[in-house]
Amino acid sequence: MKRLAFDIGGTFTDFVYDDDGTFHTLKVPTTPEDPAIGVIEGMRHLGESGNFNAKGLDVVLHATTVATNAIIERKGGRTALITTDGFRDVLIIGRQKRYETYDLYIKPPKPLVQRRDIFEVVERVAFDGETVIALDMASLDTVIDRIAEANYDAVAVALLHAYAAPDHERQIRDRLYQRLPDIDVSISSEVSPKFREYERTNTTVANSYVKPIVSRYVTHLEEALSGKGFRNEFFIMQSSGGLVSPEFARNFPIRIVESGPAAGVLMARDAAAEEGFDHVIAFDMGGTTAKLGAVDEGVPSISPTFEIDPVRYKRGSGLPINTPAVELLEIGAGGGSIARAELGTIAVGPESAGAKPGPVCYGLGGDVPTVTDANLVLGYLDPEYFNDGAFTLDIAAARNAIQSKIAKPLDLSTEAAAWGIHLIATNNMEHAIRIVSVERGRDPRRYAMVAFGGAGPLHAARLARKIGVPQVIIPKNAGVGSAVGLLGADARLDASATRLLRLNETTGDTLRQLYEELEERVRQDLDRMALPGEPIWSRFAYMRFSGQGFEIHVPLPTGSIDDAYPQSAEDAFRRAYATRHQFSDMQASVEAVDWYLVATIETAKSTPGAIAKSSDVGSSLRTRSAFFPDAGGWLETRILNRGDLVPGNPLEGPAIVADPDSTTVIPPGDRVEAMKNGHLVIRIGTEDQL
Amino acid sequence: MSEREMDALTLTVIWNGIMSIAEELGITLRHTAFSEGVREGDDFSTAIFDRNGRMIAQGNFSPGHLGSMPFVAQHVRDYFPEENLSPGDAIALNDSFMGSGHFPDVFQVMPVFLDGSIIGYVATSAHQVDMGGAAPGSQKVHGVTESYQEGLRILPVKMVRSGEFDEDILRIILGNVRMPDKVRGDLAAQHGANLTAAERLCELHRDHGTELVERAHDIILDRTEAHMRDALAKVPNGTYSFEDFMDDYGTDTDPIKVAVDITFEDGSVTLDFSRSSDHVPAAINSYINYTRAYAVFGIKVFCDANFPQNAGGMRPITVTAREGSFFNPAFPAPSGGRAILQIRIFDAINGAMAKAMPERAMGAFSHWSNPNIGGIDDRTGRPFIAYDVILAGYGGRADSDGAEAMSPVMNCSNIPVEVHETNNPIRVQRMEFIPDTGGAGKHRGGCGVRKDIELLNSRATLSLLGDRHKYQPYGLFGGEPGALGTTILNPHRNAEPLGSKEIREIQKGDVVSIRLSGAGGYGNAEERDPLAIQNDLMDGYISAADEFDHVSDVMVAQSAKIKLP
Repeated sequence: MKRLAFDIGGTFTDFVYDDDGTFHTLKVPTTPEDPAIGVIEGMRHLGESGNFNAKGLDVVLHATTVATNAIIERKGGRTALITTDGFRDVLIIGRQKRYETYDLYIKPPKPLVQRRDIFEVVERVAFDGETVIALDMASLDTVIDRIAEANYDAVAVALLHAYAAPDHERQIRDRLYQRLPDIDVSISSEVSPKFREYERTNTTVANSYVKPIVSRYVTHLEEALSGKGFRNEFFIMQSSGGLVSPEFARNFPIRIVESGPAAGVLMARDAAAEEGFDHVIAFDMGGTTAKLGAVDEGVPSISPTFEIDPVRYKRGSGLPINTPAVELLEIGAGGGSIARAELGTIAVGPESAGAKPGPVCYGLGGDVPTVTDANLVLGYLDPEYFNDGAFTLDIAAARNAIQSKIAKPLDLSTEAAAWGIHLIATNNMEHAIRIVSVERGRDPRRYAMVAFGGAGPLHAARLARKIGVPQVIIPKNAGVGSAVGLLGADARLDASATRLLRLNETTGDTLRQLYEELEERVRQDLDRMALPGEPIWSRFAYMRFSGQGFEIHVPLPTGSIDDAYPQSAEDAFRRAYATRHQFSDMQASVEAVDWYLVATIETAKSTPGAIAKSSDVGSSLRTRSAFFPDAGGWLETRILNRGDLVPGNPLEGPAIVADPDSTTVIPPGDRVEAMKNGHLVIRIGTEDQL
Repeated sequence: MSEREMDALTLTVIWNGIMSIAEELGITLRHTAFSEGVREGDDFSTAIFDRNGRMIAQGNFSPGHLGSMPFVAQHVRDYFPEENLSPGDAIALNDSFMGSGHFPDVFQVMPVFLDGSIIGYVATSAHQVDMGGAAPGSQKVHGVTESYQEGLRILPVKMVRSGEFDEDILRIILGNVRMPDKVRGDLAAQHGANLTAAERLCELHRDHGTELVERAHDIILDRTEAHMRDALAKVPNGTYSFEDFMDDYGTDTDPIKVAVDITFEDGSVTLDFSRSSDHVPAAINSYINYTRAYAVFGIKVFCDANFPQNAGGMRPITVTAREGSFFNPAFPAPSGGRAILQIRIFDAINGAMAKAMPERAMGAFSHWSNPNIGGIDDRTGRPFIAYDVILAGYGGRADSDGAEAMSPVMNCSNIPVEVHETNNPIRVQRMEFIPDTGGAGKHRGGCGVRKDIELLNSRATLSLLGDRHKYQPYGLFGGEPGALGTTILNPHRNAEPLGSKEIREIQKGDVVSIRLSGAGGYGNAEERDPLAIQNDLMDGYISAADEFDHVSDVMVAQSAKIKLP
C-alpha cells in the first residue's frame, strides 16, 4: 500500500510517504499565497529521492491550517448574517464574561461580521419546535434585496431554536439560492444543530466566513494532485480526528479548523499503542506554545466546543466553535517564551520571542532571554548542531542575556538563572497539566506521556516526574508528527441533535427514533463519501443533573435501543459523573441535552514499518557538560544519536539524544531505551533510585 | 545575603507553589461543587494562610471575597485558638460581618498540621444554593427588613472534627435550608478540596522545610506590600471625592447616596464611604467586607491589575465607612441582594479616581439588571424561577469607545435565550442594543440593552432589581451621561412605566421590557472622529433620526458632511 500524508502548517509543510510500510519524511517551506505550490514541490522532492509516483498512490491524507489562519487574520469572505427579528445583536453581545476578571480595559472577542452585516427576518419558533410566527417572505425578500446590493460572498443563517425546527432556515436557503444563485449559504441547523444561540450563530458565521477560502484551496489541491496523475481517494482531517472527503470539507470547512493538532494527538495515540499504553498525555511543545492533549482508553479526548484565536491562551477570550474537536490545552510555554525578573522572582512567558527575532542565541536580533537560551546555556542543546545542522547557536550571547536580564537583578549565578528559567517553564506546564487532570478526573500515574515538537522532548522527563507520569515516549518521526498521525486516522462522520430529555420520563421509542434520524443524516453524508466498508457506530450524549447549566460527555451503550436503554444511559451518566466529580446525587433526576452518533470507517493501513536499524551501543563516545543541579551540578553527559541506542539495552541518565529536529534530555535517575518500533521510552526513576 | 533573604530561585519556586495550590484548590472546588454559582459563575474563593493567619495567596476567582478572605483565618483563630484545633478539623462560618456580606457564602477554614503542629490554614468560600430565609436562594431584596428573614447565620463553628462532619451541626444547617442534599454535597466538596490543598501544602513544607517556607512568607508579603506602595505612590497625594445616587431601595423609597473620599498619602490609600446614606430596610446593604472587596478591586484596576493577592498587598489599603451607614451596616441589617451594588462601588471610586488618573478612568457603566420571574409552572406543577442577568456597555475611556455588552465589575455570563425558554414558561421577544443611549463624547459610552420577556404561564411574580432609572450614568471630561434606563410593562398595550426595583404580579401574555441605561461618554463630543460617527451610523449604534436628541450639534454637523453609502 502506498500512501502520502501531508500537514500544511504555518511555516513548514510536512510529508510522510508510506511506501508499503517504510516511511519517508520530508519538510518543505509552506507557500502561504497558494499552499498547493509547496505540496507539488514536496512531491517533486519525494520523486527525486526515491520510489515515489503520484500515479501509484492509493490514498492521500491531508491536514491544514488554512481555515484557522483565515479567521485569525480576519481574511475570510465578506459574510452576511440573517437572524430572527429582535435578535440582531446575539453575535455581538456574545456571552459577555470577561476573560480577565481583574482587567476592565480588555475588549471582547471581535466578531467575524459587523452589526451592519446582520439582517433580521420576521419569524419565530419555540424551544419545542412549534411555529410561533410563520416565516414572513416579504421581510425575507427585503433582506435579500439588501444583501444583493452589498456584494456579499457568503450568507450565514442562524435563527432562534433552529436546532429544534430547521424549516425556516431551509426556506431561507432555498429562497437565497433561487434569487442569488452564486452566493454561498450556511444554515445553523446543519452546521451546528445545538442549543445556545450565541455559540451556534458564531459557528455558522465562521463556517460561512472561511468557506470561500477553503473551497478555493481544496479545489486547487485536487487539481494539483490530479495534474500529477493521482486518481484515488483524497481525505482531509477534521478537528475531531476523523477523515472526511474534500466535498464534505468544502461544505463544512469549520470542521477542519484544528486538523493539524488533531492529527498530532492521533500520532501520540498510535505511538503509545505500539508501546502498549492506552492512556496518553500528548505533549507538543514548540517555539511559542505547548499543547496538551489526552487519550483515555485508546480514544482521544474530544471536546464538543473549542475556541479560535484566544488572547494569551485564556479561556473565553476567543470565538467559540461548536463542532467536535480533539481536546487541546494550549499554554504560552515554548522555546521562545521570554523570561524576566519580576518582584524578585523569575517569570517565564506567556510572551514569546517567536521565530523572529527569536531567542537571543539565534542571532537574529533577539535580546531578551528565552527558554531556548536557557537550555543552550545548561548544555542541553548543542550549539553546533541545531535544527538538523541548519544553523549554529550563539551560546555567548545567550549567556550574556541571561546574565544581564535575570542573573544580575536577582543576584544569581548565570547557570542558576538558566536553570531557573528551565525549571519555571516546566513548572508552568506542570500546573496546567494538573488543572486539566483535576478537571477531567485523570490520574497521571496511569498515563504515558508522548512528547514531541522541537522543545517537548527537552522538558518531558522532568515534567513527567513532577506530575507523576511514570513513562515518556519520544516517538520516531516526531518532527513530522501530525503527518504521521494522518496515517493512523480513520474516516469519521458524526451527527448531533439537541433534545432536552429527562431520562426517567423518556421511553426507548423516543430514543430509538432520535437515533434513527441521526443515522439517516450520517448515512446521507456517508453515501456522498462513497467509502468501502461498513461503518462502526458509536453513541454518546452530553448529560447533566436536571437544572444544572453544564453537561458532561457520556459514552452510551451500543446495540439496540429498547425500553431499558434510558436507564442504562442514566447509569452511564452517574458513573461518568462520579469519576469526574467524586460526587453523585442519587436523588436528582438526570437529563440529556445533546445526542451524538458517530460512524467510523476504518481506512486501510500498512503493516508496521521496518525495524529501526541497529548499531553498537556506545558507538558514540561524545560527551558534553550539562547542568543538573538536583544531581550535583555540571555532569559529563553522553550525547547520542537515536541510532546509537539498541532495543533491549537501556541507558541510564544523564544522557542527551540528538535527533535532527529535537533534542531529548534524560536527567540523572531516569532510563532511556530504544524500542523496536523506533520510539524511545524513558522510564522515570522513583525517588529511591535517585 | 541577610538572614531574611533567600535566593531568587527558591523564592520563585515556593511562591509559585503556594499560588498554584490556591488556584488548584479552586479548580477542584469548581469541579466537585454542585451550586451553579460556583460551577458557572465562579462565585467562590480560595486562600492559603500561614500559621499566624496571614493570607499568603488567594486564588483568582470572584472579586466579591477580596475583602473578607484575607481576614477570615484571623476570625477563626479568635474563636478557635491553636490549642483547640486538631488535625482534620474544619471551621465554618457565613456571618455577614466576618464573611463576605451575605449568608449564601459559606466559608470553610481548615488548619493544616504537619508533624503535630499547625503550619498554616487553607480556606474556601462557596456560594451555596440556599441558606434558608424568605425566598429560595436566600437573596430576596423586597420586603426583607432584617437579617433574621434571610436564613441561617453561622458564627464560626467546628463543623468537621478530626476528619468527620459533626452530624449534629449538619442537622441544624440542613434542617434550615432548601435543597439540603445539594448543600450537604457542596459542604463536602469544600471540605474535600481543602483536604487536597492541605496535603499539597504539607508536601511543599516537606520539600523545602517549614523554616524556609516561613521565611519565604515574610518576603512574599513584604515584596507585595512594597510593590503595592510603589503603585499607590504614583498617584499624587490628595483627597479625591465623588458622589452619586441610586434610585431607591424599592417602590416609593428615597434615593441612596453613594459617596467616597479617597485619600492617597505617600504610598497608602484610604477609601472612606462615610458620607453615604444610612443603611436601608431592604436586603441590599453592603457589609464592610463587601465594601472592602470592591474597593480593593477598584484600586487593583486603577493601580495594578495583576499584583499577587495576599495580606501584604492589603496593608497599604484602608477601607472605612461610618458604622450604621449603607456601606458599613450594623447587624441585623439585611444584605442578601448586595450584588446589585458592586457596579456602584466601582462607579464611585472611578468617579473620584478620574481626578487623579484621568487616563485610567472611564464613563459610568450601564447599570445591570437582575430580574426574577417566579411562580408555579402550569405544565408541571413545579416551581420555576426565571432568574436573569442583563448586562450592557462600558463607559468611554481615554483611548477608545466603551466596550459594548461586556460584564461590568462582577464577571459572569448571560443566560442564553434558548436555555431560558427551555427551562421556564417565558418567551423573550427581543434582546438588542438600544441605539442612541450611549453617552456622546470623544469616545462614546456603550449602548443600553433591551430585553422584552413575555410570560407564558397563567401568573407569576416579577421582582425587578435594577437601577439608573432616575440618575444617569455619568460622563467624564465633557462626555455626556448615558441615557436613563426604563422598565415598561406591556410596551404594546398600555406601556406602564415601572420603578427599577418594583415587585409585581403579572399574568399570561404580559410583557416586561427591561431597557438598561447607556454608559457614560468620555471627552468632548466635538472632538469625536468623523469616521467613528460614520461607523456608528452604519452599524446603527446611533440613528440619523435621533441625532438631535442625543448627539451634540457638532457631531450632527460632522456626520452630515459624510456621505453615507
